[in-house]
Amino acid sequence: MSITLDFDIQQLDNKRPMQLHYLPAKIVGDGECTDVDKHFNNYTRDTPEFGKGILSNALRGYPLLGKRESVPKGYKGLVLQETDENQADRQLRLTGTFQDFTYWNYDKVPSKGDGYQQALVMLEVAEALAAPISEDALENEMKLQQQAKKENA
Amino acid sequence: MEDVEIKKENETIIEAEETKDEDTKENLDKITSLKSLGPFIAARENSKNTVYLSDVPSICKEQPCMLGVDEAGRGPVLGPMVYGISYCPLESKKALVDLGCADSKQLTEEKRDIIFNELNTLEYANSCIGWAVEIISPNVISTSMYRRTKCSLNEVSMDSAMGLIQHAIDAGVNIAEVYVDTVGPPEKYQEKLLKRFPNFKITVAKKADSTYPIVSAASICAKVTRDHALKVWQFPEGLVIKDNAFGSGYPGDPVTKRFLTENIDLVFGFPRLVRFSWSTAENALADKAYEMEFDEPDSEKPKYAGTKLTKFFKGTTKTGEVKREECRFFKQCHLDNVVEF
Repeated sequence: MSITLDFDIQQLDNKRPMQLHYLPAKIVGDGECTDVDKHFNNYTRDTPEFGKGILSNALRGYPLLGKRESVPKGYKGLVLQETDENQADRQLRLTGTFQDFTYWNYDKVPSKGDGYQQALVMLEVAEALAAPISEDALENEMKLQQQAKKENA
Repeated sequence: MEDVEIKKENETIIEAEETKDEDTKENLDKITSLKSLGPFIAARENSKNTVYLSDVPSICKEQPCMLGVDEAGRGPVLGPMVYGISYCPLESKKALVDLGCADSKQLTEEKRDIIFNELNTLEYANSCIGWAVEIISPNVISTSMYRRTKCSLNEVSMDSAMGLIQHAIDAGVNIAEVYVDTVGPPEKYQEKLLKRFPNFKITVAKKADSTYPIVSAASICAKVTRDHALKVWQFPEGLVIKDNAFGSGYPGDPVTKRFLTENIDLVFGFPRLVRFSWSTAENALADKAYEMEFDEPDSEKPKYAGTKLTKFFKGTTKTGEVKREECRFFKQCHLDNVVEF
């Protein structure tokens, strides 16, 4: 089984930016969501009483509080789509890119405590894991280890 | 030369339009008759609540007044719920009776419209009777009832009623007696009102609108406002329904039923004219729209009762494989391994 990302780097810059909403709900359904403007964006309001930049809206009667968020620096948001996920060789196609989106919580002001914000720690972890280590740093580290061993012995 | 003239003409047209705009703007801030009620409501955002207070007749600031409270549109699955108050000097009861503010349930829609109009236009009435309404948007009803800490319709109602009384006080009405119609048990409601307004003589009663003409007047204001709010409802969803015929809003009404089945979006559900928190609406969506799961509300009780003894056997599966605990750091940060997506 393999997954192919079927696009090249040039497409990333040419694609039309998309408008995205990060919703606090699991939607059990697959398909195109029509008329987001009329059903949803139409109802987004600034709600300064909850803080600067805080927005409010509702989804199926559930109150939402949200905030505009940018994709982390150095990253780009992609929207990928596939026609058939049951094939052995899966193919994902690029449908659009985004630089920012609206993050929504169910009746809770968005904060650093949100799962999404906490998960962003992964970016630092990934960077630490993938950063190249110079020859010198490596030797240094090995010396330190040996010294520690000696002292313990 | 000609160009300049045309330009001038255009300018005057624009000016004329602007002044016309200003005219209507002025009208849209005030309800002075039945005719101005619809345009007033239509000019407001229907996803938010709207409060309107009539001018306070000067006699109501001097003489002790009675104030009636009633609501309209509590039960229907569609449209706003409207709270209404009306007030007049204790001595002016006759004006209420002359207007025809008797048992409002006995009145036809037409008759209610006439009384509302006369209340606002006839000198003998508007010189001694004042009124106010709050239009509670169905969007606000849904979001209140679906909050993490649920706010029941009763709480929404009481807040609205007390808010309107407060508005009247702030506007200078000299309130002495308050009469409130209720569907629920009167005692608790009365207690709550007395706590907030200890200086008034407060009467909460079932069917108060047929007993007290001042409640009847409040009831008429509320009912007429609700009827008009539905008539002038504009769907931000872009829906157009001929004559806004959605029926009474009661689940048994076939017109309402059809409206509910024909206007479901798979993702967003109903237009926000509908109260999502009504079981009729919930059931219809459970059948016909995508299932949607939100975070659990906070009302769930934590189930922690100390470490379980069996915890020590949980490290392996039945076949003896060792299950690895997720790293705590990643778990706390909501991070997990994903092989497929």
